[in-house]
Amino acid sequence: MSGLVTEAARKPSRLGHPNLGLGVGLRSAHFDHILAHRPAVDWFEAISENFVDSRGRPRYVLQQLAESYPIVLHGVSLSIGSTDPLDFDYLAKLKRLAAEVKARWVSDHLCWTGVLGRNAHDLLPVPFTEQTLRHVVERIRVVQDLLERPLVLENPSSYVTFAHSTMSEWEFISRMAEDADCGLLLDVNNVYVSSFNHDLDPVEFVRALPHERIVQCHLAGHSNYVTHLIDSHDAEVIDPVWELYRLAHGATGGVATLLEWDARIPPFPIVHAEVLKARRFMGERLEARDPGRARQPAAGAPAAEAAPALPHPLHHVLPEVA
Amino acid sequence: MSDEGPALDVVQRWFQAVVTSPGGVDAGIASAEAQRLVPLGRGELERLVRRSRRLSAGERLGIYAHAYYARLLECLGEVFPVLARTLGRELFESFAFEYLQRHPSRSYTLNRLGASFARFLEETRPDRAGPSAGALPAAWPDFLIDLARLEWEIAEVFDGPGVEGQPLLSAAEVAGLGPERFAAARLATVPCLRLLSFRFPVNRYYGAARRAGPDEEPALPEAAEEHVALGRTHFVVHRYPLSRFQHALLGALAGGAPVGQAIAEAVAAAGAPLGADELAGEVGACFHAWTAAGFFLSLRQEAPSPPPASPRPRPTGSAAA
Repeated sequence: MSGLVTEAARKPSRLGHPNLGLGVGLRSAHFDHILAHRPAVDWFEAISENFVDSRGRPRYVLQQLAESYPIVLHGVSLSIGSTDPLDFDYLAKLKRLAAEVKARWVSDHLCWTGVLGRNAHDLLPVPFTEQTLRHVVERIRVVQDLLERPLVLENPSSYVTFAHSTMSEWEFISRMAEDADCGLLLDVNNVYVSSFNHDLDPVEFVRALPHERIVQCHLAGHSNYVTHLIDSHDAEVIDPVWELYRLAHGATGGVATLLEWDARIPPFPIVHAEVLKARRFMGERLEARDPGRARQPAAGAPAAEAAPALPHPLHHVLPEVA
Repeated sequence: MSDEGPALDVVQRWFQAVVTSPGGVDAGIASAEAQRLVPLGRGELERLVRRSRRLSAGERLGIYAHAYYARLLECLGEVFPVLARTLGRELFESFAFEYLQRHPSRSYTLNRLGASFARFLEETRPDRAGPSAGALPAAWPDFLIDLARLEWEIAEVFDGPGVEGQPLLSAAEVAGLGPERFAAARLATVPCLRLLSFRFPVNRYYGAARRAGPDEEPALPEAAEEHVALGRTHFVVHRYPLSRFQHALLGALAGGAPVGQAIAEAVAAAGAPLGADELAGEVGACFHAWTAAGFFLSLRQEAPSPPPASPRPRPTGSAAA
């Protein structure tokens, strides 16, 4: 019988991590509200770079929240795909912070952020080749050894693809996760944005991933420029992205889910209410609804800002001055 | 180049050169650096970057190129909000754009992005470029540089080391010392205390700018010496105007001088000497205010030294009487 059990079936769901429920990305604009009201949020995700060096209020707030909420650390500067050396100073600080706030897991993105010592502070795309795969897998193993925990990597939104890529993004992610034995953070908004930008099928993307390795989902809003979408994290989640979430929920059996809102940030109750909408998309299995709805183009008017929206995550903590 | 195309490090160096090119994507692709890495003739970009149904390869790269500068300019505007408002967005961003080219981020955190901005303004001030660059008032760069310094120091104090939750030196402890023991004591200042001197009253201007409504423009100040202490309590940065004497006294104390010696140094540095009674009153008021502001961690008492040349300091408690 054991020979009939597939590798996927033996793998515990979510790499053994709990489903933390519905969480919110911790942003400094909400610090006062959260400390004063202690809202009934299931968990918080903190941008690692805003806290690893902090010896002021950001670190204090995170320490306070870690006493009563599960915390996950989500980084934007690991640069796992870069050909620059890994930053071991950063990793050592990240490990200390993760221990301090009892981080349930530590995540970052399948991307690079710069080379030659520079940091573009952007999530830059990698070519999906065997060479990149070997490089990324090797670095994930180094990071996991150092952090002494599985790394969880997110599919970023992207705006270009490379002519010399030899595999799809989902094939790359699947092989990366298996070879490096790491977890996945499935950002369904990023799937939608990248699929639109690269003329791909978002449903095929979600279906093709190794669902047992998905530890967490991200939700966010984006900006529609007709010719392309920008992952701007500045609006509500649109219906086709919710449909992708429904698909992901059914495929994974449910994982910790988090809403990111990084620009034009509304009051906390609005952000919290947005992630709670996820409840409407749970409870049905993969094929229960027409996945074609997830393939539909974005509803609503295209963005018409004077200046184009910026891809996020970008978050910088502003000083508080009397 | 292998069957899989150029090596990953080559692709990444090329990509970075192109999307951070100050002249935009086309200029970046044509740059010597990019051409050395991946020689691409006109119309050959799709050999490396695919087009989509709706956008050309160049337009797709342009999304990253736009985001690179826009993101970092936005961040610098947040670190230097009063400077940005004073200059206006266009002028501020022209300075910041030049700065980002000379000082690209080399850190994993955006919190250090503005670390060299005041120095950059100093190094590139127009009056350094020679006499022909004298279109602006001569003192204008001093004002901008001082304002940038203040805003950067505020950002550093906000997220740097502090003393929240730690016991600090109280006015009562200072008052409990006799004059001789107080004069011989050395004070440990808190790590979040910053002592600053400016050529323009930028701290006063900073306060006025923050209080001003969105349509109000605070008057630009005349050049005048200004001294300021920055501190932090309950994780909020506070700004304390100081006289020249107070700045010198705090500076000497922070440098480790015993109180008596610090007072003598401050009197010497501050110019017009005060009368003995005035000085004692001033010193007492200072220590009362500074212990209340949480400037001192502790004091270390040493054997009384011979009385200093200056009048004996009056411990804090007596100033309140």
